[in-house]
Amino acid sequence: MIEFTAPHEDEYRIARLRERLAADDVAELGVQVEQRGTSVLLTGTVPTASRRDEILRLAREELAGLTVRADLVVACADAPDRWEELP
Amino acid sequence: MTRPPTTPDTPGRPLTTTPDGAGPAHDPAPGPDPTSETARSDGHGTVVRVAAVGDIHLGPDCAGVLRPAFAGLPDRADLLLLAGDLTRHGTVEEARVVAEEVADAGVPVVAVLGNHDYHSGEEAAVTQVLTDAGITVLEGDAVVLPVAGHKVGVAGVKGFCGGFVGRSAGEFGEPEMKAFVRTTRLSAERLALALGDLSAAGCAVRIALTHFAPVPDTLAGEPLEIHPFLGSYLLAEAIDGAGADLAVHGHAHLGTEHGMTAGGVRVRNVAQPVIGRAFALYRLPVAGDGTASVPEAVRTAAPAHAPGGELISGAVRRS
Repeated sequence: MIEFTAPHEDEYRIARLRERLAADDVAELGVQVEQRGTSVLLTGTVPTASRRDEILRLAREELAGLTVRADLVVACADAPDRWEELP
Repeated sequence: MTRPPTTPDTPGRPLTTTPDGAGPAHDPAPGPDPTSETARSDGHGTVVRVAAVGDIHLGPDCAGVLRPAFAGLPDRADLLLLAGDLTRHGTVEEARVVAEEVADAGVPVVAVLGNHDYHSGEEAAVTQVLTDAGITVLEGDAVVLPVAGHKVGVAGVKGFCGGFVGRSAGEFGEPEMKAFVRTTRLSAERLALALGDLSAAGCAVRIALTHFAPVPDTLAGEPLEIHPFLGSYLLAEAIDGAGADLAVHGHAHLGTEHGMTAGGVRVRNVAQPVIGRAFALYRLPVAGDGTASVPEAVRTAAPAHAPGGELISGAVRRS
């Protein structure tokens, strides 16, 4: 029987979080989950602040015991202040 | 069949005036809003103003988020393109949110669906909700819109994946693999036919609208390993083969905005996380006003079309 060391387990737990984020109830494919040393970093853009909170809650639940850091941006819904000329 | 755009345009309306002829004076801010200027008045000719965004991933929790920005569109743009992934899970409930967001856009809205919009298997119902709201949803077909007396054509497919030249999947081996690549190939073929229809219709400007990417240029920032899941060179081959003035796509949230096909067609990734705004704005010169993007022989041979926006070949190619 193979006995996983902690780092291996962490890798699979991170993979499971990625799968949960992509699954039916969440469907956030635009969030990246990376292992950075002993912590996990979440990056990407989400449509609303409530979805960012939801993703953070899931990450902390799935990765309990690991340090979760997040730099998730809420998409800007402002009209543009410039255009591009395509000559 | 003929369907009206969200707001009927008047053929011959010069782009130098807003629909009410009032110009940019609506803006209460000091000085004119630069994006409210409706056309170049510097002697370079008419332009068509294209607003575009993809990957807005709306759901009931996002209702109203984009509406204020969309409400200002008539002063800034002649049409709005939606490059797929309009919903989060592809449900009818979410599609209704999309319909509400663009309800006051005041310009013709043309969309393709994205992979998220297919997730619940309700893509037909999603399309119906959007269509009922006045949005032209393209999948292997094209629409011709009148802008300032010119025909502006948009050909659209969702597209699919497979990868890019030298690093792409082939239609070989297991049935599953062949079906995967065939899906992309057939989608690209439908796009080429729809673009061809726009040329035949005498469009002065032709735009290819997809969800998946036609080139890897606009994927820069995405992990290389997932490029084959983000688009296919078959779409670019179709665009170059049939000809277009602009190709617009979404899907790649980590990508970049600018790219170009091998044949020299500009590609823009308008995924909302990429453009960082409610929509991006592009201004294309209209062929015949200094820049010829459609051969004259094709234009003059084209049949006349109703001014309200005409859908081409939809029923035939949807199956």
